[in-house]
Amino acid sequence: MTQAVRIGIDVGGTNTDGVLMSGKDVLTSAKTATTQDVRSGVVDVVTRLMDGWKGARADISAVMIGTTQFVNAFVERRNLEPVAIFRIALPKGRGVPPMAGWPRDLVQALGGHIYMIRGGAYYTGVEYAPLDEAGLRAAALDAHSKKIRSAIICATFASMCPQLEARAAAIVAAAIPGVRITLSAEVGGLGLIDRENASIVNASLALLSTRVVGSLQQALRDAEIQAPVYLSQNDGTLITTDVAERLPILTCSAGPTNSIRGAAFLTGVQDAIVADIGGTTTDIGFLSKGFPRETTAANNIGGVRTNLRMPDVLSIGLGGGSIVRLADDGSLGSIGPDSVGFRLREQARVFGGATLTATDIAVAAGQARIGNAQRVAGLSPVFVAAALEKMHLKIEDAIDQVKTSAKLMPLILVGGGHVLVSRSLRGASEMLHPRHAEVANAVGAAIALVSGRVERMYDLNSQGREGALNEAKREAISAAVAAGADAGSVEIVDVQEMPMTHMRAGSVQIRIRAAGPLASLAAETSR
Amino acid sequence: MISFVEPADIKDVARGAVLLGTGGGGDPYIGELFLQAQLEQGRAPHVIPVEAVADDTLVITIAGVGSPPVMLENLVSDVTLLQILARMESHLGRKVGALISAEIGGVNSMFPLALSAITGLPVLDGDGIGRAVPRTEMCTFSIYGCSATPGVVIDELGNTVVIETVNDVTAENVLRAVTVALGAHVFGGFFPMTGAQVKRTAVRDTLTLSQHIGRCIRTAREGDGDVFYDLLAFLNTSRKGGVARLLFDGKIVDVTRETRNGWHWGRVTLAALNDSGDVFTVDIQNEFTVARLNGRTVTVVPDLISILDRESAEPITAERLAYGQRVKVIGLSADPLLRTPEALAVMGPRAFGLDEDFRPIESLGEWRSADYNPTAQKV
Repeated sequence: MTQAVRIGIDVGGTNTDGVLMSGKDVLTSAKTATTQDVRSGVVDVVTRLMDGWKGARADISAVMIGTTQFVNAFVERRNLEPVAIFRIALPKGRGVPPMAGWPRDLVQALGGHIYMIRGGAYYTGVEYAPLDEAGLRAAALDAHSKKIRSAIICATFASMCPQLEARAAAIVAAAIPGVRITLSAEVGGLGLIDRENASIVNASLALLSTRVVGSLQQALRDAEIQAPVYLSQNDGTLITTDVAERLPILTCSAGPTNSIRGAAFLTGVQDAIVADIGGTTTDIGFLSKGFPRETTAANNIGGVRTNLRMPDVLSIGLGGGSIVRLADDGSLGSIGPDSVGFRLREQARVFGGATLTATDIAVAAGQARIGNAQRVAGLSPVFVAAALEKMHLKIEDAIDQVKTSAKLMPLILVGGGHVLVSRSLRGASEMLHPRHAEVANAVGAAIALVSGRVERMYDLNSQGREGALNEAKREAISAAVAAGADAGSVEIVDVQEMPMTHMRAGSVQIRIRAAGPLASLAAETSR
Repeated sequence: MISFVEPADIKDVARGAVLLGTGGGGDPYIGELFLQAQLEQGRAPHVIPVEAVADDTLVITIAGVGSPPVMLENLVSDVTLLQILARMESHLGRKVGALISAEIGGVNSMFPLALSAITGLPVLDGDGIGRAVPRTEMCTFSIYGCSATPGVVIDELGNTVVIETVNDVTAENVLRAVTVALGAHVFGGFFPMTGAQVKRTAVRDTLTLSQHIGRCIRTAREGDGDVFYDLLAFLNTSRKGGVARLLFDGKIVDVTRETRNGWHWGRVTLAALNDSGDVFTVDIQNEFTVARLNGRTVTVVPDLISILDRESAEPITAERLAYGQRVKVIGLSADPLLRTPEALAVMGPRAFGLDEDFRPIESLGEWRSADYNPTAQKV
């Protein structure tokens, strides 16, 4: 039996990368510039992949896509939709209304349509006040009269009492025909303001997500690919296009995640540090059990604080295009953080330009063969050695900040800037530089699993620690299967317990994640 | 003096409050947003010096009590704070004339300011501790003879509990039980005092100090010098004989933590960046309690220990500390009111289970290396 073939695509801000994979093998890869309409870049990459493979389009069994389109649109305030905000918390929370602390331009762009409704639950899941259905209906009719088509519903401790948001959604949907609704429990964890913020960001992307998902699907139709399409979310697992269209915010940080996951796959290593060295920055992430470690602190998207689960990536201003400066006495000055960026091939010395870059240093040191080495032959060996050492120290310093213990770990180098590294780095037990490292992000998309999550408060008094953990695990596994994972191969990949102060003894917050391959590919893929 | 004109002014107070929170006190985020919402409606807090309050004015504290993650869901209600005020007045049979913060460190620096903006009542520029502490009775109001009760706890639903206890240790214990029963986070009014009592017991000028600390860090970042030089220079000259020192410059190599009896316990270990072999530890009991260099105590409670990002000087709370962070640790002398025998009996090292007596930071040695001396860094 022939193995199912799948396509992984990463639509970045600058490049659209693609790979064609069968099982664990990368059959072919392609890279092109990202286009304004997204579609033509994707068509181009898929066409090139098919040309490089010569197989039948009908044999493609799935397409997985990672994209930063949504977060870029929000940061640039492009195509944002006005949002009706229904917060169900009164009498709690009056003092800090929705969108408090948001940048003014964003509040204006989204209209500031705020409705505070009575209702909500304690951390135990018990309601402290029933939902004010009449009040909500009146508010929804008011939003309807303002022609608002996108809404969020955010209730106190929504994760402990999801039925409250669901009931509210039914009322809003009845009052505003065709409204798109984001439930806060679907996008964020504990912390009402951060969760509400993430929901509002998501709702503001409603129209754009329909268009982008539509153009991705159109691109694949244009390229005559019939296979189902999935999108990568922030944690490196897949969601269907339906879910992505409804919850675009879940995909906004997929790029770095896919790069880290791709690095893991290409090396077969499950626990490592991953350094993605690009033209301007080096992004360093921490790979644990095949997944990137996530941030614990709040994140900031375009000036809005959220508690989205994002990969914990440290970005430092060092890449192949970083500008190398001399001090007044001719000795080594600074390296980066500014970079010639995508103009490397015009401005770097080895390409005939006038700017001394990190790539020039690598060429002068004889560790990279790019451009004309003669043009950097005049640099003193002492200077080159000092610059090279400084670059290594910068990366070593960042690696050390990302690690959680002093223990040595494997280091995986991906990205085009890997030529800057010539010796093994402190803190690394071994240095890995796999084939296809330059398209690691597209590989990461192609190998993605499907996951399910639970993040809730449990009472250990009533069911004991084991009982609570087992219940949470069961819920996470069924969520993964519901999302399309193969029931036979779903595994628990992460368990976190956080005891709470000032609560009834035995109250604990449990976060569990289960993941497995797509049921449709289960026979032949693996992590 | 303190001012509230733009959002940065609030952020400055919050940042200073985290530094003075010495690892604890709660993230001021919700309090900042609450205060900012008042400013946006054209209502600014009215802060006056402690000395400006009349001797017979009734002063109370306003504070959030309970689990920080629950406050992040419940937020805060202006109505609840007004009800606390009204209920304290009806219970005491007198009008409240001024508010004061029970503890400046962390989120409780913010609520009296916000209630002042709403009501127009003045907030006294001071508090009961000049830092953050884990228990109600650990404050100068309590130590010098004022009582935390009669006090009132109210939740947003209107559940009201009046607490009257024979001492403040019991008040703390009752408060904990009530908090658990009402959903793990509540707001309350405590320490009904006369202006004369406040003048006798309060730690002075701490709101202004918070804002100036935050502002000093913010403006120093905009310059191109060492932020810590400016910060330490400020802390050493602005606090009437108070001493501030850079204790250590290094990276975190280990953090241990556990929740014991509802409190956060732990230890953070740092190593020097210059491979000197020095080992620096800071113990955590909600707040930082003792800092030791190679086993030798360099700062101990009630003196203050703060851990800050070594580049930006952003103060870091204990729950946010993690392996690999590059930090500088600073020590500050506590207010003289916290260093008396009466105060040390309540919140000296032994009150935290440490087997040592209090020694002021000034007596704990000069620094061997110029690296640790901020004045040597200005070239």
